[in-house]
Amino acid sequence: MNKYSICMVNVAFINPFSDEARQIVREYGNLNTIYQENGDLIQLVTRSPSQDISDEETIPHNIMDLALKRIEWYVKKKNNPEFDYRKYSYLYNRNITNFDVIAFYLLVQAISVKFGPNSRESRVMVEAQGKLMESRMGELLLSEKREILGTILNTLLPGEVKWTMFADLLSSRKIKLTDLVLDQGNIILDKDYFMENLGYKLEHRDPGKMYDLLIGDKIKELIINRMIMQKTEDYISEVYQKSQRQVEPNPILLELADNVTEILNQPMATYGYRGGATGKVEASPLNQEAFPPCVKIVLEGMKSGGRNDAIILFLTPFISYARLYPDVFRRNTTLRVSDVDPELAAVEKEILPLIYEAAERCTPPLFEDQPQEKVNINAKMGFGMHSEIELKHEGETTWYTPMSCEKVKLHLPSLCKPDKTCKSIGNPLSYYIRRLTDLKYEEATSEEPG
Amino acid sequence: MVSDQLLKPATPEERRRYYREEWDVKDVPEFISNSVQKREFGFDHMGRGPNHRYKVFRNMDLLRKFLRYRAPFAAYSSVAFYEKPQRRDGWIKSELVFDVDAKDIPIRECGCEGVCEVCLNQALEIISSLIDTLKGDLGLKDIHVVYSGRGYHLRLFDESVMTMDSDVRGQIVQYLSGAELPRNEYAAEGVTYKLEHFTIPFGYPQVFTDRTRYAILHLTPETQLDEVNQKLLKDVIKNRELLEDNQWGIFRSKIGPQRFQKLIRSIASLNMALVDAKVSIDLKRILRLPSSLHSMVSMKCMEVKNIETFDPFKEAVPKFVYERKS
Repeated sequence: MNKYSICMVNVAFINPFSDEARQIVREYGNLNTIYQENGDLIQLVTRSPSQDISDEETIPHNIMDLALKRIEWYVKKKNNPEFDYRKYSYLYNRNITNFDVIAFYLLVQAISVKFGPNSRESRVMVEAQGKLMESRMGELLLSEKREILGTILNTLLPGEVKWTMFADLLSSRKIKLTDLVLDQGNIILDKDYFMENLGYKLEHRDPGKMYDLLIGDKIKELIINRMIMQKTEDYISEVYQKSQRQVEPNPILLELADNVTEILNQPMATYGYRGGATGKVEASPLNQEAFPPCVKIVLEGMKSGGRNDAIILFLTPFISYARLYPDVFRRNTTLRVSDVDPELAAVEKEILPLIYEAAERCTPPLFEDQPQEKVNINAKMGFGMHSEIELKHEGETTWYTPMSCEKVKLHLPSLCKPDKTCKSIGNPLSYYIRRLTDLKYEEATSEEPG
Repeated sequence: MVSDQLLKPATPEERRRYYREEWDVKDVPEFISNSVQKREFGFDHMGRGPNHRYKVFRNMDLLRKFLRYRAPFAAYSSVAFYEKPQRRDGWIKSELVFDVDAKDIPIRECGCEGVCEVCLNQALEIISSLIDTLKGDLGLKDIHVVYSGRGYHLRLFDESVMTMDSDVRGQIVQYLSGAELPRNEYAAEGVTYKLEHFTIPFGYPQVFTDRTRYAILHLTPETQLDEVNQKLLKDVIKNRELLEDNQWGIFRSKIGPQRFQKLIRSIASLNMALVDAKVSIDLKRILRLPSSLHSMVSMKCMEVKNIETFDPFKEAVPKFVYERKS
């Protein structure tokens, strides 16, 4: 059997930290060959199912290219709603595993050496790895997926998966604490562990079958995905530590790292202030006329009691997303404020003034007796708990997405005075988008002569 | 018997006596004294709320002098640890706290106006079941119980949760209190199976079953529940002894599956009030300082060393109360 007809999935295709992947790295020869035109790779790429080969640019010619394509794929997928996945079909082709693993290690090493663990490049690397794994899993047959999940799970030690490791998944509601099967702080994923520790408690039911029902594939996949991202992050730190002790990093790696930065700088330049003609909603100056009733109430000022929650938890996320990233729920990708507003100009000149004015209109004015709440406003936009908004702190906290109507009703019931647009939306931000479109339409039709 | 002298507000003179004669700085638990420099302190001097905030103490002796001298109406310290507590800046981490206030327990057997022995006992029962879940399911350690004067605080110092944000803390509250209806449909191989929470004897479904049973067993004919009318409430109370030995299946069929669903949906939203979620999700909350005086009810706020034997009416009553003239 030659290597083009392999049809089993190598676990290294999903998990670059598996023994199989490490084996591939060990067997790979000279680092200098990563620049050489690689006929095997080109053939695999061009023969990948549904691969678009019309543009020579889309085809990686060597492993260095492949490494960059992995990043480019992620950045484009994230930032470009018209992303064409046929240009990158080969990334889902399991037969590229050997090259892919080498590309992965090159990238991680380049990024660690040049930028270290707390860089934008490292963050993108980790996220890209997570997304790639998720997309690849999505392409597998159910039976293959199960097998891979099982193989990866088996390499974890039972009791190793503490739920506390997944605070970010819980915080972003990708998983719910109540959906996990927990025992002594561990998330139960492993079948043997389940049978031994919980299975005996079941009466009149087949524990094996209950395991299949209760410990769903989706949870396993999310957890494994997050663990691989975590391992990528740890590995970046590890390589970085080691590189600090070396005199001169390999120039090949430095060049690769520079190319990664170049890719990251591209979409930032084009995303943000363009007018959209494709139904997507771009960042644009706020139109207060389109604000939902609840936001209007807060802007008029709140009475003591509900002030903090209304200004900090409700208004800040709404205003910042409405101004910078109104499409967040439709695009379903995480951005940071600086991804859209790199100079923080809109934050300083438009967003904060609006929030501060609303705080000022409260009785008593919010910052008069609680000046520390300014810090919380910064925190809700992702800039950590600091009194000034500074890029170096971005990411210490998460940029809160606007509260859903359901949450508003729970936390701030006095704000909810629904009008007829409210009936068809579930989040104040969706109201804003809806009304913006309506207003544009009304404007356009009223301008028509006659 | 001192009962008629209990739960009355303390006079300024009584407060001074308490802090001078009875209170000892050694009564402040170690979990506060070992982090005194990192915490913000807050005081209520006039009984109008803790508006003296941003107070910091470099050491315990300064705290001792302050309390002796000022004998505040109430004393608090932050659950948060800060680099600069005097500005509430440089947040490091926060204790994970749960507040069970006796007067806010969703289903109270006593029906008293404020707090009484019965509902305080109930609060302690709830605290004890929360601890079981925190340890058994969530695997958390370093848990302290504090009697607050009107209920109990659970304070966790497990490093793995102290940096968690409000959202995660909110989910922990939901998990512990059984505030979310567990899913009852599970799919495998494209086939969906119905599994009621009471058939799954571990994990969240078990927590939900326990909390729901507790609520149902404490219902009174006067309890108001959304979606539950008088007839249903009556039937629930009539059949609830089945739950004492976990005969959920029979209980459910006696009630009827539709009405059962209504009942547990309603109990789930009621369970949310077992702990005050606002306290748990607030990373910068100030909580009553253990060892300080709760002047409104003349009780000591104090760490509970043994929840099995703790009796606030024996251990948390300051001496001056016994010396009041009736």
